[in-house]
Amino acid sequence: MSIETFFQLYGYAALIVIIAISLYGIVRGASLIKKLIALTILGDTANAFMIYLGFRFGRQYPPVLPTLKPTPEQIAWFTSVAVDPVPQCLVITAIVINMAITMFLAFLIIQTYRLYGTTMVKRITKLKG
Amino acid sequence: MMSLFTASLIIFALTLGAVFAYFAIKSRDLVKAAVFSAGQSAAFALAFFMLMAPDIVLAYVAVAIGIYTVVLLYVINKTERFEEAEE
Amino acid sequence: MRIKEVVTGIMAAAFLFVIIVTIIFGSTGWTPSTEIRPLAKFYLENCFNVFNRTWWTASPEAVTSMLWDYRGIDTYYETSVFFLAVISGVALFRIAEIKLGTKKKELGLSIIVKTVTRLIFPLIIIVSISVAFHGNLTPGGGFQAGAIFAVAPLLLIAAFSRHYLEENIKLTKDKCLTLRTIGLTAITLIIALPVLAGALTLMQNQAKPWSPFFSFPEVVGPVWTSGTLFFLNVAEFLAVGAGFTLLFLLLSIPEEEFKRVFGL
Repeated sequence: MSIETFFQLYGYAALIVIIAISLYGIVRGASLIKKLIALTILGDTANAFMIYLGFRFGRQYPPVLPTLKPTPEQIAWFTSVAVDPVPQCLVITAIVINMAITMFLAFLIIQTYRLYGTTMVKRITKLKG
Repeated sequence: MMSLFTASLIIFALTLGAVFAYFAIKSRDLVKAAVFSAGQSAAFALAFFMLMAPDIVLAYVAVAIGIYTVVLLYVINKTERFEEAEE
Repeated sequence: MRIKEVVTGIMAAAFLFVIIVTIIFGSTGWTPSTEIRPLAKFYLENCFNVFNRTWWTASPEAVTSMLWDYRGIDTYYETSVFFLAVISGVALFRIAEIKLGTKKKELGLSIIVKTVTRLIFPLIIIVSISVAFHGNLTPGGGFQAGAIFAVAPLLLIAAFSRHYLEENIKLTKDKCLTLRTIGLTAITLIIALPVLAGALTLMQNQAKPWSPFFSFPEVVGPVWTSGTLFFLNVAEFLAVGAGFTLLFLLLSIPEEEFKRVFGL
Protein backbone atom coordinates (compact mmCIF):
# COMPACT_ATOMS: atom_id res chain seq x y z
CA MET A 1 0.00 0.00 0.00
CA SER A 2 1.59 3.26 -1.09
CA ILE A 3 1.76 6.24 1.18
CA GLU A 4 -0.93 8.09 -0.81
CA THR A 5 -3.48 5.34 -0.27
CA PHE A 6 -2.58 5.30 3.40
CA PHE A 7 -3.35 9.00 3.69
CA GLN A 8 -6.69 8.66 1.90
CA LEU A 9 -7.79 5.70 4.02
CA TYR A 10 -6.69 7.35 7.25
CA GLY A 11 -8.81 10.42 6.51
CA TYR A 12 -11.89 8.28 5.94
CA ALA A 13 -11.17 6.21 9.05
CA ALA A 14 -10.90 9.27 11.30
CA LEU A 15 -14.20 10.69 10.01
CA ILE A 16 -16.00 7.33 10.42
CA VAL A 17 -14.74 7.09 14.02
CA ILE A 18 -16.12 10.53 14.86
CA ILE A 19 -19.49 9.63 13.28
CA ALA A 20 -19.65 6.48 15.41
CA ILE A 21 -18.76 8.39 18.61
CA SER A 22 -21.42 11.05 18.00
CA LEU A 23 -24.10 8.47 17.16
CA TYR A 24 -23.33 6.71 20.43
CA GLY A 25 -23.62 10.05 22.21
CA ILE A 26 -27.02 10.76 20.69
CA VAL A 27 -28.48 7.35 21.51
CA ARG A 28 -27.02 6.84 25.02
CA GLY A 29 -26.65 10.38 26.31
CA ALA A 30 -28.12 10.79 29.75
CA SER A 31 -28.97 14.48 29.50
CA LEU A 32 -30.72 16.42 26.77
CA ILE A 33 -27.80 18.83 26.53
CA LYS A 34 -25.34 15.99 25.90
CA LYS A 35 -27.56 14.83 23.04
CA LEU A 36 -27.51 18.35 21.61
CA ILE A 37 -23.69 18.48 21.74
CA ALA A 38 -23.46 15.09 20.00
CA LEU A 39 -25.91 16.26 17.30
CA THR A 40 -23.73 19.28 16.49
CA ILE A 41 -20.65 17.07 16.24
CA LEU A 42 -22.50 14.72 13.85
CA GLY A 43 -23.59 17.59 11.58
CA ASP A 44 -20.09 19.05 11.40
CA THR A 45 -18.57 15.68 10.61
CA ALA A 46 -21.02 15.10 7.77
CA ASN A 47 -19.97 18.47 6.32
CA ALA A 48 -16.28 17.57 6.64
CA PHE A 49 -16.98 14.27 4.88
CA MET A 50 -18.48 16.13 1.91
CA ILE A 51 -15.52 18.49 1.61
CA TYR A 52 -13.15 15.54 1.82
CA LEU A 53 -14.96 13.86 -1.06
CA GLY A 54 -14.47 16.91 -3.25
CA PHE A 55 -10.74 17.20 -2.60
CA ARG A 56 -8.25 16.79 -5.38
CA PHE A 57 -5.11 14.76 -4.88
CA GLY A 58 -1.98 15.82 -6.72
CA ARG A 59 -2.10 19.59 -7.09
CA GLN A 60 -4.78 21.70 -5.38
CA TYR A 61 -5.96 25.28 -5.58
CA PRO A 62 -8.96 26.94 -3.89
CA PRO A 63 -11.88 27.54 -6.29
CA VAL A 64 -11.24 31.30 -6.62
CA LEU A 65 -9.87 32.74 -9.85
CA PRO A 66 -6.95 34.97 -8.83
CA THR A 67 -7.29 37.67 -11.49
CA LEU A 68 -9.96 39.90 -13.01
CA LYS A 69 -8.53 39.80 -16.54
CA PRO A 70 -7.94 36.14 -17.33
CA THR A 71 -6.38 34.75 -20.50
CA PRO A 72 -7.65 31.42 -21.96
CA GLU A 73 -4.50 29.62 -20.73
CA GLN A 74 -5.23 30.82 -17.19
CA ILE A 75 -8.80 29.53 -17.34
CA ALA A 76 -7.56 26.16 -18.59
CA TRP A 77 -4.96 25.98 -15.79
CA PHE A 78 -7.64 26.94 -13.25
CA THR A 79 -9.92 24.15 -14.43
CA SER A 80 -7.13 21.61 -14.12
CA VAL A 81 -5.96 22.38 -10.57
CA ALA A 82 -8.94 23.81 -8.66
CA VAL A 83 -10.82 21.87 -6.01
CA ASP A 84 -14.49 20.92 -6.51
CA PRO A 85 -16.72 23.93 -5.62
CA VAL A 86 -20.08 22.07 -5.59
CA PRO A 87 -19.74 20.46 -2.11
CA GLN A 88 -18.60 23.78 -0.64
CA CYS A 89 -21.80 25.52 -1.74
CA LEU A 90 -23.94 22.71 -0.30
CA VAL A 91 -21.97 22.74 2.98
CA ILE A 92 -22.58 26.46 3.56
CA THR A 93 -26.33 25.83 3.23
CA ALA A 94 -26.02 22.85 5.56
CA ILE A 95 -24.19 24.91 8.21
CA VAL A 96 -27.02 27.46 8.25
CA ILE A 97 -29.76 24.85 8.51
CA ASN A 98 -27.95 22.91 11.26
CA MET A 99 -27.53 26.12 13.19
CA ALA A 100 -31.23 26.96 12.90
CA ILE A 101 -32.11 23.48 14.23
CA THR A 102 -29.62 23.80 17.12
CA MET A 103 -31.03 27.17 18.17
CA PHE A 104 -34.58 25.80 18.12
CA LEU A 105 -33.57 22.76 20.18
CA ALA A 106 -31.78 24.98 22.73
CA PHE A 107 -34.94 27.00 23.23
CA LEU A 108 -36.96 23.81 23.60
CA ILE A 109 -34.56 22.43 26.24
CA ILE A 110 -34.85 25.59 28.32
CA GLN A 111 -38.65 25.45 28.13
CA THR A 112 -38.62 21.73 29.07
CA TYR A 113 -36.58 22.50 32.18
CA ARG A 114 -38.98 25.26 33.17
CA LEU A 115 -42.04 23.05 32.84
CA TYR A 116 -40.72 19.72 34.18
CA GLY A 117 -37.84 20.70 36.44
CA THR A 118 -35.27 18.30 34.98
CA THR A 119 -33.33 17.57 31.80
CA MET A 120 -32.35 13.97 32.53
CA VAL A 121 -34.09 11.61 30.14
CA LYS A 122 -34.65 8.82 32.67
CA ARG A 123 -36.50 11.19 35.00
CA ILE A 124 -38.64 12.62 32.21
CA THR A 125 -39.85 9.15 31.19
CA LYS A 126 -40.99 8.49 34.76
CA LEU A 127 -43.25 11.53 34.88
CA LYS A 128 -46.95 11.05 34.49
CA GLY A 129 -48.56 13.14 31.76
CA MET B 1 2.22 13.42 -5.34
CA MET B 2 0.71 15.78 -2.83
CA SER B 3 3.10 17.57 -0.56
CA LEU B 4 3.79 15.85 2.73
CA PHE B 5 3.07 19.02 4.67
CA THR B 6 -0.56 19.30 3.47
CA ALA B 7 -1.31 15.62 3.99
CA SER B 8 0.18 15.44 7.45
CA LEU B 9 -1.63 18.58 8.61
CA ILE B 10 -4.97 17.20 7.43
CA ILE B 11 -4.34 13.93 9.25
CA PHE B 12 -3.21 15.70 12.43
CA ALA B 13 -6.29 17.94 12.44
CA LEU B 14 -8.73 15.05 11.94
CA THR B 15 -7.08 12.96 14.67
CA LEU B 16 -7.19 15.88 17.09
CA GLY B 17 -10.88 16.30 16.23
CA ALA B 18 -11.52 12.64 17.04
CA VAL B 19 -9.75 12.91 20.42
CA PHE B 20 -11.70 16.03 21.37
CA ALA B 21 -15.00 14.47 20.28
CA TYR B 22 -14.35 11.40 22.43
CA PHE B 23 -13.65 13.51 25.51
CA ALA B 24 -16.70 15.68 24.85
CA ILE B 25 -19.04 12.69 24.83
CA LYS B 26 -17.36 10.99 27.78
CA SER B 27 -17.17 13.83 30.29
CA ARG B 28 -19.97 14.22 32.78
CA ASP B 29 -19.47 17.90 33.54
CA LEU B 30 -21.41 19.64 30.78
CA VAL B 31 -19.28 22.81 30.79
CA LYS B 32 -16.22 20.68 30.02
CA ALA B 33 -18.17 18.97 27.24
CA ALA B 34 -19.02 22.35 25.68
CA VAL B 35 -15.37 23.45 25.79
CA PHE B 36 -14.20 20.17 24.25
CA SER B 37 -16.79 20.62 21.51
CA ALA B 38 -15.31 24.05 20.77
CA GLY B 39 -11.85 22.46 20.58
CA GLN B 40 -13.13 19.89 18.12
CA SER B 41 -14.55 22.70 15.98
CA ALA B 42 -11.18 24.45 16.00
CA ALA B 43 -9.46 21.25 14.80
CA PHE B 44 -12.07 20.91 12.03
CA ALA B 45 -11.51 24.55 11.01
CA LEU B 46 -7.80 23.75 10.49
CA ALA B 47 -8.79 20.68 8.45
CA PHE B 48 -11.15 22.77 6.29
CA PHE B 49 -8.39 25.29 5.62
CA MET B 50 -5.92 22.62 4.49
CA LEU B 51 -8.67 21.10 2.30
CA MET B 52 -8.75 24.40 0.33
CA ALA B 53 -12.20 25.66 1.37
CA PRO B 54 -11.79 29.30 2.55
CA ASP B 55 -15.48 30.29 2.48
CA ILE B 56 -16.34 27.49 4.85
CA VAL B 57 -13.58 28.41 7.30
CA LEU B 58 -15.05 31.92 7.73
CA ALA B 59 -18.58 30.64 8.35
CA TYR B 60 -17.53 27.69 10.50
CA VAL B 61 -15.23 29.56 12.89
CA ALA B 62 -17.89 32.16 13.64
CA VAL B 63 -20.74 29.68 14.04
CA ALA B 64 -19.26 26.58 15.67
CA ILE B 65 -16.60 28.08 17.94
CA GLY B 66 -18.31 31.38 18.76
CA ILE B 67 -22.05 30.94 18.71
CA TYR B 68 -22.57 27.29 19.65
CA THR B 69 -20.34 27.53 22.73
CA VAL B 70 -22.07 30.63 24.04
CA VAL B 71 -25.56 29.24 23.42
CA LEU B 72 -24.62 25.99 25.18
CA LEU B 73 -23.25 27.91 28.16
CA TYR B 74 -26.47 29.93 28.38
CA VAL B 75 -28.54 26.73 28.31
CA ILE B 76 -26.33 25.04 30.96
CA ASN B 77 -26.60 28.12 33.18
CA LYS B 78 -30.39 28.03 32.98
CA THR B 79 -30.72 24.28 33.52
CA GLU B 80 -28.46 21.69 35.19
CA ARG B 81 -24.71 21.45 35.03
CA PHE B 82 -23.87 17.87 35.99
CA GLU B 83 -25.13 14.74 34.33
CA GLU B 84 -26.21 11.83 36.45
CA ALA B 85 -24.35 8.54 36.16
CA GLU B 86 -25.88 5.50 34.48
CA GLU B 87 -27.26 2.96 36.91
CA MET C 1 -23.25 -5.73 28.09
CA ARG C 2 -26.43 -7.42 27.06
CA ILE C 3 -26.93 -9.35 23.84
CA LYS C 4 -29.44 -6.84 22.49
CA GLU C 5 -26.97 -3.97 22.73
CA VAL C 6 -24.18 -5.92 21.05
CA VAL C 7 -26.41 -6.99 18.17
CA THR C 8 -27.67 -3.41 17.70
CA GLY C 9 -24.12 -2.13 17.67
CA ILE C 10 -22.99 -4.66 15.06
CA MET C 11 -25.99 -3.96 12.83
CA ALA C 12 -25.42 -0.18 13.04
CA ALA C 13 -21.75 -0.62 12.19
CA ALA C 14 -22.58 -2.81 9.18
CA PHE C 15 -25.16 -0.29 7.94
CA LEU C 16 -22.67 2.57 8.26
CA PHE C 17 -20.01 0.53 6.48
CA VAL C 18 -22.28 -0.22 3.50
CA ILE C 19 -23.27 3.45 3.13
CA ILE C 20 -19.71 4.67 3.29
CA VAL C 21 -18.37 2.14 0.80
CA THR C 22 -21.17 3.13 -1.60
CA ILE C 23 -20.27 6.81 -1.27
CA ILE C 24 -16.54 6.27 -1.69
CA PHE C 25 -16.87 4.14 -4.82
CA GLY C 26 -19.94 5.86 -6.25
CA SER C 27 -18.48 8.93 -7.94
CA THR C 28 -15.49 9.08 -10.31
CA GLY C 29 -14.13 5.75 -9.25
CA TRP C 30 -11.99 5.70 -6.12
CA THR C 31 -12.20 9.08 -4.39
CA PRO C 32 -10.50 11.44 -3.58
CA SER C 33 -9.01 11.30 -7.04
CA THR C 34 -6.95 13.58 -9.26
CA GLU C 35 -9.91 14.45 -11.50
CA ILE C 36 -13.15 16.17 -10.55
CA ARG C 37 -16.64 15.65 -11.88
CA PRO C 38 -17.76 17.11 -15.24
CA LEU C 39 -20.33 19.30 -13.46
CA ALA C 40 -17.62 20.92 -11.38
CA LYS C 41 -15.52 21.45 -14.51
CA PHE C 42 -18.47 23.22 -16.15
CA TYR C 43 -18.94 25.55 -13.17
CA LEU C 44 -15.25 26.34 -12.87
CA GLU C 45 -14.85 27.03 -16.57
CA ASN C 46 -17.94 29.20 -17.01
CA CYS C 47 -18.16 31.27 -13.86
CA PHE C 48 -15.82 33.95 -15.19
CA ASN C 49 -15.43 33.23 -18.89
CA VAL C 50 -15.04 36.68 -20.48
CA PHE C 51 -14.60 35.18 -23.97
CA ASN C 52 -17.84 33.17 -24.16
CA ARG C 53 -20.46 35.02 -22.16
CA THR C 54 -23.35 32.60 -22.58
CA TRP C 55 -23.31 31.13 -19.08
CA TRP C 56 -21.05 33.42 -17.14
CA THR C 57 -21.83 35.07 -13.81
CA ALA C 58 -19.36 38.00 -13.72
CA SER C 59 -17.77 36.82 -10.47
CA PRO C 60 -14.35 35.15 -10.30
CA GLU C 61 -15.29 33.30 -7.14
CA ALA C 62 -16.93 29.98 -7.93
CA VAL C 63 -18.59 29.38 -4.55
CA THR C 64 -20.46 32.71 -4.28
CA SER C 65 -21.54 32.53 -7.91
CA MET C 66 -22.95 29.08 -7.22
CA LEU C 67 -24.66 30.23 -4.02
CA TRP C 68 -26.49 33.19 -5.53
CA ASP C 69 -26.67 32.49 -9.25
CA TYR C 70 -26.41 28.85 -10.28
CA ARG C 71 -28.16 27.46 -7.18
CA GLY C 72 -29.82 30.63 -5.97
CA ILE C 73 -33.22 29.20 -5.05
CA ASP C 74 -31.50 26.83 -2.56
CA THR C 75 -30.07 29.82 -0.71
CA TYR C 76 -33.44 31.56 -0.71
CA TYR C 77 -35.09 28.59 0.98
CA GLU C 78 -32.23 28.23 3.45
CA THR C 79 -32.79 31.86 4.49
CA SER C 80 -36.47 31.14 5.03
CA VAL C 81 -35.63 28.08 7.20
CA PHE C 82 -33.49 30.31 9.40
CA PHE C 83 -36.36 32.79 9.57
CA LEU C 84 -38.65 29.99 10.79
CA ALA C 85 -36.19 29.21 13.61
CA VAL C 86 -36.14 32.88 14.64
CA ILE C 87 -39.94 33.05 14.64
CA SER C 88 -40.21 29.89 16.73
CA GLY C 89 -37.79 31.35 19.29
CA VAL C 90 -39.84 34.53 19.55
CA ALA C 91 -43.03 32.46 19.93
CA LEU C 92 -41.59 30.24 22.70
CA PHE C 93 -40.27 33.12 24.82
CA ARG C 94 -43.08 35.59 24.31
CA ILE C 95 -44.40 35.51 27.88
CA ALA C 96 -41.90 37.62 29.76
CA GLU C 97 -40.92 41.09 28.66
CA ILE C 98 -38.61 43.29 30.67
CA LYS C 99 -39.72 46.88 30.86
CA LEU C 100 -37.10 49.42 29.95
CA GLY C 101 -35.66 51.43 32.79
CA THR C 102 -35.71 48.76 35.47
CA LYS C 103 -32.00 48.68 36.20
CA LYS C 104 -31.45 48.37 39.91
CA LYS C 105 -27.74 48.11 40.47
CA GLU C 106 -24.46 48.34 38.62
CA LEU C 107 -24.45 45.46 36.14
CA GLY C 108 -21.74 43.89 34.05
CA LEU C 109 -18.21 42.66 34.61
CA SER C 110 -15.17 44.57 35.88
CA ILE C 111 -13.81 47.73 34.34
CA ILE C 112 -10.90 45.99 32.61
CA VAL C 113 -13.31 43.80 30.64
CA LYS C 114 -15.47 46.81 29.80
CA THR C 115 -12.54 48.84 28.45
CA VAL C 116 -11.24 46.01 26.29
CA THR C 117 -14.73 45.33 24.94
CA ARG C 118 -15.13 48.97 24.01
CA LEU C 119 -11.94 48.69 21.94
CA ILE C 120 -12.80 45.43 20.22
CA PHE C 121 -16.47 46.04 19.41
CA PRO C 122 -16.03 48.49 16.47
CA LEU C 123 -13.26 46.34 14.98
CA ILE C 124 -15.55 43.31 14.77
CA ILE C 125 -18.23 45.37 13.05
CA ILE C 126 -15.77 46.78 10.51
CA VAL C 127 -14.40 43.32 9.71
CA SER C 128 -17.89 41.94 9.17
CA ILE C 129 -18.88 44.82 6.84
CA SER C 130 -15.68 44.30 4.85
CA VAL C 131 -16.33 40.57 4.48
CA ALA C 132 -19.86 41.30 3.24
CA PHE C 133 -18.77 43.89 0.69
CA HIS C 134 -16.07 41.88 -1.06
CA GLY C 135 -17.97 38.59 -1.05
CA ASN C 136 -18.26 38.41 -4.82
CA LEU C 137 -14.52 38.80 -5.53
CA THR C 138 -12.72 36.91 -2.73
CA PRO C 139 -13.86 34.37 -0.15
CA GLY C 140 -16.61 35.89 1.95
CA GLY C 141 -20.25 36.62 1.46
CA GLY C 142 -23.48 37.46 3.20
CA PHE C 143 -23.85 34.63 5.63
CA GLN C 144 -20.20 34.61 6.75
CA ALA C 145 -20.39 38.34 7.44
CA GLY C 146 -23.64 37.97 9.38
CA ALA C 147 -22.16 35.27 11.60
CA ILE C 148 -19.07 37.39 12.32
CA PHE C 149 -21.29 40.39 13.05
CA ALA C 150 -23.30 38.41 15.58
CA VAL C 151 -20.29 38.07 17.92
CA ALA C 152 -20.32 41.82 18.67
CA PRO C 153 -23.72 42.12 20.45
CA LEU C 154 -22.89 38.90 22.26
CA LEU C 155 -19.76 40.50 23.70
CA LEU C 156 -21.77 43.53 24.74
CA ILE C 157 -24.40 41.43 26.50
CA ALA C 158 -21.71 39.51 28.38
CA ALA C 159 -19.45 42.41 29.37
CA PHE C 160 -22.04 45.11 29.96
CA SER C 161 -25.57 43.93 30.37
CA ARG C 162 -28.72 43.41 28.38
CA HIS C 163 -30.02 46.77 29.59
CA TYR C 164 -27.04 48.52 27.99
CA LEU C 165 -27.85 47.02 24.62
CA GLU C 166 -31.51 47.90 24.86
CA GLU C 167 -31.33 51.41 26.30
CA ASN C 168 -28.04 52.98 25.23
CA ILE C 169 -27.71 51.52 21.75
CA LYS C 170 -31.48 51.18 21.31
CA LEU C 171 -31.41 47.76 19.69
CA THR C 172 -34.63 46.30 21.04
CA LYS C 173 -36.32 43.10 19.94
CA ASP C 174 -38.79 44.85 17.65
CA LYS C 175 -36.04 46.82 15.93
CA CYS C 176 -34.14 43.62 15.21
CA LEU C 177 -37.25 42.05 13.71
CA THR C 178 -37.72 45.14 11.53
CA LEU C 179 -34.13 44.99 10.25
CA ARG C 180 -34.49 41.30 9.47
CA THR C 181 -37.69 41.90 7.51
CA ILE C 182 -36.07 44.74 5.56
CA GLY C 183 -33.22 42.43 4.52
CA LEU C 184 -35.59 39.66 3.44
CA THR C 185 -37.79 42.09 1.48
CA ALA C 186 -34.73 43.41 -0.34
CA ILE C 187 -33.73 39.86 -1.34
CA THR C 188 -37.25 39.09 -2.57
CA LEU C 189 -37.41 42.31 -4.61
CA ILE C 190 -34.08 41.62 -6.32
CA ILE C 191 -35.16 38.07 -7.13
CA ALA C 192 -38.58 39.08 -8.47
CA LEU C 193 -37.39 42.08 -10.51
CA PRO C 194 -37.62 40.40 -13.97
CA VAL C 195 -41.18 39.23 -13.22
CA LEU C 196 -42.23 42.74 -12.26
CA ALA C 197 -40.75 44.07 -15.49
CA GLY C 198 -42.71 41.67 -17.66
CA ALA C 199 -40.32 38.78 -18.41
CA LEU C 200 -41.03 35.29 -17.08
CA THR C 201 -37.72 34.49 -15.39
CA LEU C 202 -36.87 34.58 -11.68
CA MET C 203 -33.48 35.38 -10.11
CA GLN C 204 -31.56 36.40 -13.19
CA ASN C 205 -28.07 37.79 -12.85
CA GLN C 206 -26.72 37.93 -16.41
CA ALA C 207 -28.85 37.55 -19.53
CA LYS C 208 -29.35 34.05 -20.90
CA PRO C 209 -29.84 33.47 -24.66
CA TRP C 210 -33.63 33.08 -24.42
CA SER C 211 -34.37 35.79 -21.87
CA PRO C 212 -35.81 39.19 -22.89
CA PHE C 213 -34.65 40.91 -19.69
CA PHE C 214 -31.34 42.78 -19.65
CA SER C 215 -28.35 41.61 -17.66
CA PHE C 216 -27.28 43.60 -14.63
CA PRO C 217 -24.03 45.56 -15.13
CA GLU C 218 -20.95 44.00 -13.69
CA VAL C 219 -19.01 47.23 -13.18
CA VAL C 220 -20.58 50.36 -11.65
CA GLY C 221 -17.96 53.09 -11.74
CA PRO C 222 -14.83 51.68 -10.12
CA VAL C 223 -16.71 49.02 -8.15
CA TRP C 224 -17.17 45.43 -9.31
CA THR C 225 -20.72 44.56 -8.33
CA SER C 226 -21.04 41.38 -10.43
CA GLY C 227 -24.66 42.05 -11.31
CA THR C 228 -26.98 41.23 -8.42
CA LEU C 229 -24.42 39.36 -6.28
CA PHE C 230 -23.20 42.42 -4.36
CA PHE C 231 -26.68 43.57 -3.38
CA LEU C 232 -27.80 40.08 -2.44
CA ASN C 233 -24.75 39.70 -0.20
CA VAL C 234 -25.42 42.99 1.61
CA ALA C 235 -29.13 42.20 2.12
CA GLU C 236 -28.30 38.74 3.47
CA PHE C 237 -25.71 40.26 5.84
CA LEU C 238 -28.36 42.59 7.26
CA ALA C 239 -30.91 39.79 7.64
CA VAL C 240 -28.56 37.27 9.28
CA GLY C 241 -26.94 39.76 11.66
CA ALA C 242 -30.30 41.05 12.89
CA GLY C 243 -31.62 37.48 13.29
CA PHE C 244 -28.72 36.42 15.48
CA THR C 245 -28.97 39.55 17.64
CA LEU C 246 -32.65 38.86 18.19
CA LEU C 247 -31.94 35.30 19.34
CA PHE C 248 -29.30 36.48 21.80
CA LEU C 249 -31.59 39.16 23.20
CA LEU C 250 -34.20 36.48 23.86
CA LEU C 251 -31.72 34.04 25.35
CA SER C 252 -30.31 36.49 27.89
CA ILE C 253 -33.55 37.30 29.69
CA PRO C 254 -32.82 36.32 33.31
CA GLU C 255 -34.66 33.44 34.90
CA GLU C 256 -36.29 35.57 37.62
CA GLU C 257 -38.65 37.06 35.06
CA PHE C 258 -39.89 33.67 33.90
CA LYS C 259 -40.20 32.36 37.45
CA ARG C 260 -42.29 35.38 38.30
CA VAL C 261 -44.57 34.83 35.32
CA PHE C 262 -44.93 31.08 35.91
CA GLY C 263 -45.64 31.71 39.58
CA LEU C 264 -42.92 29.41 40.94
